[in-house]
Amino acid sequence: MPDFSPILTRWQFLLSALSVTIYISLLSIAFGFLIGIVVGALRTYGGRVVDSVLGFYVDTMRSLPQLVVLVWTFFAFPLIVGFSMSSTTAGIIGLSAHLGAYVAETVRAGLTSVRRGQMQAALALGMSRLEAIHKIVLPQALIRMMPALGSLCTYAIKDSAIASVIAVPELLRQSQIVVGQTYRYQLVYTTLMIVYFLICYPVARGVDRLYRRVAHLGSS
Amino acid sequence: MTAGWSLVWDNAGRFAEGALLTVELTVVTMLLAIPGGLLLAFLRLSRWRLIRFAATAFVELFRSTPLILQIYWVYYVLPSFTDILLPGLAVALIGLVCNISSYNSETFRAGIVSIRRGQWNAGLALGMNSAQVMLKIVLPQAAMRVLPALASTWVSLFKDTALVSVIHVGDLAYVALKIRTETFVILPVLNAMAVGYWLMGYPQAKLVDWIHRRYKVAE
Repeated sequence: MPDFSPILTRWQFLLSALSVTIYISLLSIAFGFLIGIVVGALRTYGGRVVDSVLGFYVDTMRSLPQLVVLVWTFFAFPLIVGFSMSSTTAGIIGLSAHLGAYVAETVRAGLTSVRRGQMQAALALGMSRLEAIHKIVLPQALIRMMPALGSLCTYAIKDSAIASVIAVPELLRQSQIVVGQTYRYQLVYTTLMIVYFLICYPVARGVDRLYRRVAHLGSS
Repeated sequence: MTAGWSLVWDNAGRFAEGALLTVELTVVTMLLAIPGGLLLAFLRLSRWRLIRFAATAFVELFRSTPLILQIYWVYYVLPSFTDILLPGLAVALIGLVCNISSYNSETFRAGIVSIRRGQWNAGLALGMNSAQVMLKIVLPQAAMRVLPALASTWVSLFKDTALVSVIHVGDLAYVALKIRTETFVILPVLNAMAVGYWLMGYPQAKLVDWIHRRYKVAE
């Protein structure tokens, strides 16, 4: 029986670290989805110029590692804009900016996957373009996007661990502090694997299950 | 500021070495993770429940935990089980290959399952055994279908190699962060790092889009 005291005696410290992980994950999911929905919709309906400008943002984020985005946001960005920010703020910005690009791609694919006839039928019924998008295209597209958006949520949780590199006091970072104090590598890192698994796996399976239930609503 | 950029220029050789290692890691990992993914996919389609369960557990574990943690885990925990001290580069490769194999196995499994049952039946009716049907009928057709997903995994892998810098493997991210600590020149060095990844990653992202358009499976 291994000695769990390094973790048990620091449970409050680690619990607050876990709450930081959940906090930055949820915030970056919220901002990332916001960015993604706006960018994805603008790229689909906003004309060619808007599409290529936003396309540059999306493709840039798709070609830069999350680590590079985070390090750059925390260390380089403040030098350009002239004010500094906390590592947690930088972490949330970097994670959201990266996630947003992937959400945008998903949203665009979802919106364009809804057949043209749906839009034409809505317009023929006298709806405005905005109404047609809002009432006909988007509800179907959202269902179709669900599996991809769900896996992006688990990516966001997993990627929040990379924020440890810029010293955001999240779960991985604080666990490294515990390792530094106790030298119990195996115990701490193995526990951490289990904890992340227990968070991410139910999210992935939950979205799968939900999707199977509502998938028929997205077919036209 | 100009002094900073000349510093980047002076260290161009080191940046290039780091970039080369990033590319090498990507290529070698993918070369190992394709057979690895195929193996896991076969194990998950096995007729014995225990093997199916073990393979599924492996895949789900590596898909549901952060890669950065997996790399730390392989780096610190594996040596204590095996009594073998591996160099950082080997550790990085093990971590990346396990991770990417897991993603590939899902891709391959989906590809294999997507080939209609009739193809199997026709192959068997022609007198092939199931290994022959798999090799000659199913896999060639599945290969075309999994190509787009495989290409996407390739780009994520390319980006994820940056995480090996946390265990002091000298890839582009590590080299850049090291030069930053040595010289305290921040902005040009970090910009150079970002530009370096961008120059390599952007064409790959565009190529993936093209592959997706070219090999899209029609509904």
